[in-house]
Amino acid sequence: MSQQNGVISKEEETLYDRQIRLWGMEAQNRLRKSSILFIGVKTVTLEACKNLVLGGIGRLSIYDPQPITNLDLETQYYFNESHVGQPKDKVLAEKLAVLNPLVDIRAVSSLDIAGVDLVVNIGHSTGGWRQKGVKSMLADAFGLFGYIFVDCLDAHEYIEEGRVRDAKTGESEVVRSSKVAAYKSFEESVAAKVSGGNAVRLARKYSPLVFVCQALATMDEQVPDGELSQFIKTALAQRDLPPGFVGDELVSRVEASWGTEFVPSASVVGATLAQEALKIITLKDMPANNWFTYDGLVSEGITCTL
Amino acid sequence: MRTTEQLTRIFGQEAADRVSTARLLVVGAGGIGCELLKDLSMSGFQHIEAVDLDTIDLSNLNRQFLFQRRHIKRPKAEVAIQAIRDFNPGIDAHARQANIKEPTFDVDWFAQFDLVLNALDNLDARRHVNAMCLAAHVPLIESGTAGYLGQVTVIGDGTECFECQPKAAERKTFPICTIRSTPSAPIHCIVWAKNYLFAQLFGERLDEDEDMAAEADADNMEELEQLREESRALANLADAMGSPEFARVVFDKVFSSDIARLLSMPDMWEHRQPPTQLHYDEMEATSSDASTSPATHTALSMADAFALFKHTAARLAQRLTSGDAGALAFDKDDDDALHFVAATASLRSYVFGIEQTSIFETKAMAGNIIPAIATTNAVVAGMMVTQAIMVVSGQLPRCHTAYVAYNSKRSRCVLSEPLAAPNPRCSVCRRRYLTLRVADLSRTTLGDVVDYLHMLAETENSLHLGEDISVVEGSRILYDLDFEDNMPKSLEELGLGRGKMITVAREDFEDDLPIAATIPVVLSIAGPQAADDSPDLDIEGFELIPEFAPLPPPVADETAPDADQLHFADDDVAVVVGDSDDEYAPLGHEENVDNISDELAKRKLCDFGARYESPVKRRAVATDDETTISD
Repeated sequence: MSQQNGVISKEEETLYDRQIRLWGMEAQNRLRKSSILFIGVKTVTLEACKNLVLGGIGRLSIYDPQPITNLDLETQYYFNESHVGQPKDKVLAEKLAVLNPLVDIRAVSSLDIAGVDLVVNIGHSTGGWRQKGVKSMLADAFGLFGYIFVDCLDAHEYIEEGRVRDAKTGESEVVRSSKVAAYKSFEESVAAKVSGGNAVRLARKYSPLVFVCQALATMDEQVPDGELSQFIKTALAQRDLPPGFVGDELVSRVEASWGTEFVPSASVVGATLAQEALKIITLKDMPANNWFTYDGLVSEGITCTL
Repeated sequence: MRTTEQLTRIFGQEAADRVSTARLLVVGAGGIGCELLKDLSMSGFQHIEAVDLDTIDLSNLNRQFLFQRRHIKRPKAEVAIQAIRDFNPGIDAHARQANIKEPTFDVDWFAQFDLVLNALDNLDARRHVNAMCLAAHVPLIESGTAGYLGQVTVIGDGTECFECQPKAAERKTFPICTIRSTPSAPIHCIVWAKNYLFAQLFGERLDEDEDMAAEADADNMEELEQLREESRALANLADAMGSPEFARVVFDKVFSSDIARLLSMPDMWEHRQPPTQLHYDEMEATSSDASTSPATHTALSMADAFALFKHTAARLAQRLTSGDAGALAFDKDDDDALHFVAATASLRSYVFGIEQTSIFETKAMAGNIIPAIATTNAVVAGMMVTQAIMVVSGQLPRCHTAYVAYNSKRSRCVLSEPLAAPNPRCSVCRRRYLTLRVADLSRTTLGDVVDYLHMLAETENSLHLGEDISVVEGSRILYDLDFEDNMPKSLEELGLGRGKMITVAREDFEDDLPIAATIPVVLSIAGPQAADDSPDLDIEGFELIPEFAPLPPPVADETAPDADQLHFADDDVAVVVGDSDDEYAPLGHEENVDNISDELAKRKLCDFGARYESPVKRRAVATDDETTISD
């Protein structure tokens, strides 16, 4: 069953009532006509896709032909022993279909982006989306940590609503304004010169974690066990950061988390990813520009522009 | 059973072991509850009990992902627990479809858990679980979401409890005259239609409407008496139900003769626009087909509202006269009831020249609907479970109060602060909690309890009770020196079953009294320890009474409630939202955050239905500017 055509039905209105009351009918209509492609299945993929399917996007395509492993079963709750060895995308698409029969969910065999509004890479970028004119996100959740990078191209138009109070009558009304935001490409962001002076001033603009996550996102091949801290430190050294800005304690906690999955943090990052994707698709409110990082130990999620 | 190799890598073997043996109670299996149960069952927790009274509804399915269409009308707790058993076979998980305030869930029952997690939707139940956890000495993780906003905090030894910061009432009340005589906003008309007109005609008739604060003073005595007379006359119209003239007599009364009466009082309209009287026959001459499929997103025209009123009045009357139900309760998901309220509220808006609202908007106001989405619930639940692991592995002091904010310009969308110390003046957690064990509630009288307390006070040094004591339950006085009527009554007769709490306070204050003596004792009523040879009455828990530090002098701050007010704070301010099925209590309606620059203060918060005031006096303001209905 597809909901890509026609107007919203009475049943859909009831099903989506609690969110229509939040983001409005216009946003819901954009949502039901949208198409998103996910590349890479991890716990954070389950979480983000689950939320988008519940919200009622039009089409969800998933690409990850890798076989399900025993380790995946620890955290990827839609998979069980009987799925081990089967392609991840196929099983996930089947499981998600139960959540909302109105969404067209499919496992895809190629990265065809015809009609796709947004591409989400999980773990590492398959790249080139900007050149193809497609908005994209890159995200990962590992252990207690996670990050999201957003690229909405050079000019993302969106609507912002705010209440304006009439000084005379004291009554307030909702005012809609159209805005445009420019985003950096991943390559630009990683090469961006960090300005801001000393560590205290820098900390107002950036979370130290964002530099660590950038380093991890650019990792080409798996770093051998025990060498991750060194890899991160080497990458950080090239960023010309003030001494001590990224603490050793943070780096060692990241190393302990790397290569693991933890459902509660994946849930936070996946939900944030879904919410940012909803902003991109519905053109309502500015999507995070351009990094979000999360540290579950201290319950801190920070967005910054880099 | 799923393995937990990765969990062990992140948190260590000892924490992983504690997680696997901890017994958890989850209160609420709705929006946050579903996410919470998923995260818990996939993070090594193996002993989980979930309690929820509710059944599944279509409008839950946009976020409560453990439920599907085929589960509609089934109990939430049961379906959610079955779903996590599917995720993690072998997990020891149990469901109960019940109200957490039931007597079965007494202090002994709460005490069997290592941690309680609240995923509730109302202030009343949150308060109750907070008190039970204090009485049972079990840590509690509290949560809430409203639209894009959310909050998590941890309550345990040495932290603030849920009641340490004052909570605003969840539901707004209106002066009775505003509702009945001089409405000036759409909400006044909706409250009138739902709580007065609908209730008097079709519901359990109430003499005093709980939504209307009847504030009698010399000026409005006469008007209030008139209004009472009006209510009685309206209730009498219910007799016409079933006759074809029913809609006409109701209409004539409330939109014609009652309005004429108001118009006959020119004083009332000196500074207000006078209402317009409507006439049934004139309305009858208009035509509309709104009775069958009214537009939901635009305001009803007068003709549409009239047609819808006639149609729904007849249908509701028919349901009442033909069915077994003696009365109907307003239910926002019952189209007849909702449309009746929307139609009559609309007509009243026309009468008083008030802006119209659509059925969609009326539903939100009449049904107290709070927007809710999957993502906020998922963020909140994820933070709760991370903190749950810390609590059960003995690291409660490292936990946080965390907030989910929503604003594209803000750099922190998930932010946290350390847990705050208890408010030394808190009327709930700054009490000594003991367990009162009663073998037979129908035999033991209040007098027995008071005598026993006096007897114990002589031998038990830590009880510090003088001759002159008072006993209260919430705001109900059960006993003091001048009021002994209840002494011969049994606890059962007094409605003091298991799970109830009574507060015993010393009334004779002397200056040199030790501090502990001035702190009231809360007795949680429970069954006997062992069935056979237990005494009729017993009080336990003296070893758990904490040492209290002397109370600091009162802060010169009008927001800090004084001790007198706190004494009976419980029920005085609690107005419970009865029919919201969402995760949260409503936010405040501040609209002016622009001039507050401090980021922490500017962040959007929702403090379980109230505005949050952090312990360090960073005043945070809850706003609703992004939860505005925007279509």
